[in-house]
Amino acid sequence: MKSEKYIHLSDFCRGHALEEAFVFLLEEYELVRIEHFNSRPAIHRRDLRRLERLVRLHRDLEIGVPGLQAIEQLLGRMEALQEEMRQLRLRLQRHESRD
Amino acid sequence: MDFIDYYKVLGLSKGAGEKDIKKAYRKLAREYHPDLNPGNAEAERKFKQVNEAHEVLSDPEKRKKYDQYGKDWEQAEAFEEARKARSARSEYGQYTYSGGPESDFSDFFSSMFGGFGDSRRGRGMGYRGQDLQASLELDLKDAYRTHQRTLDLGGRKIRITIPAGIEDGQTIRIKGHGAPGVNGGPAGDLYIRFTVRNTTPFQREGPQLYKTVRIPLTTAVLGGKITVKTLDGQARLTVKPHTQNGTRVKLKGKGFPFYKQEGIFGDLVLTFEVALPTSLTPEQRALFEQLKQTET
Repeated sequence: MKSEKYIHLSDFCRGHALEEAFVFLLEEYELVRIEHFNSRPAIHRRDLRRLERLVRLHRDLEIGVPGLQAIEQLLGRMEALQEEMRQLRLRLQRHESRD
Repeated sequence: MDFIDYYKVLGLSKGAGEKDIKKAYRKLAREYHPDLNPGNAEAERKFKQVNEAHEVLSDPEKRKKYDQYGKDWEQAEAFEEARKARSARSEYGQYTYSGGPESDFSDFFSSMFGGFGDSRRGRGMGYRGQDLQASLELDLKDAYRTHQRTLDLGGRKIRITIPAGIEDGQTIRIKGHGAPGVNGGPAGDLYIRFTVRNTTPFQREGPQLYKTVRIPLTTAVLGGKITVKTLDGQARLTVKPHTQNGTRVKLKGKGFPFYKQEGIFGDLVLTFEVALPTSLTPEQRALFEQLKQTET
């Protein structure tokens, strides 16, 4: 499944009833990357999921941008730990099946 | 449809104040937010319940209605009348949310308060969500049959039915599966452009299929029966004697299905290519020499 590569920031913000300034603030904190498409600020499709997650967290839990940055870091760490756990489980299973 | 005790969901007593509701909501929303509990379906379910409870209890009007009719809502004729009256004079116009079974709100909520409503989203004029564009690649054989596919649209899964006979480059519209509307407006539409990849020996032109079939020289000259592969099986056919190179025959109904015309198929057009021998045994050579002698 492939959708359009970029969505203009203005379209994204209109669709989510969001101020563009908020997304620029997220960019300042290096939480999203704003690129340019047809000479207008745009978000790449690969970054949409992350941006939408940040918007949801901001809206649903009233979390400010520094808080979002902390959450992103912790989620990243959690993901890495889960992956490590998965790998270790696999190794353990292999080890046990050999015995 | 079961009654939902919104106070219990938020862990509150019936006399809870506005501040208590907000506090309980914040605490539970943080705990169960799906983005903070990736892959945890139970957390997602609880988050929806918490949201719904907050939606009702944080709105004085909804809370009053809930407290008044809540537990006996199914029997309450008065409630039913109030509900009808409310939809008739709805200050926000007609509810247009079309979340259907995937809605974030329970049937209980919908029965009691109508469709979608979320105080955090504001109550201005709703407007339609954006249309989304996507593309999907199919094999010719996939396009031959009506089938279903589950598409992942940035985490949102939708199941679509792709009618047999879809064309390369064709776009279909899935109504209401674009970006969600704002302030209760309807969702946009999803446009899916299909690319039909063909790795078969068949050429397709709409419902017509074309294929070149090599036949032995002897079959072309003397006639005979051959078996050819069709897109969904095989067909046995007779080759007439004296068949020339490039002769075309049509197998009716063995082509591609007509789009959205279940059970109706185009034709398969076969072009015969007479396979000339590239080497001869001495015996065959002698026979050809003999044949040559008969030519006038």
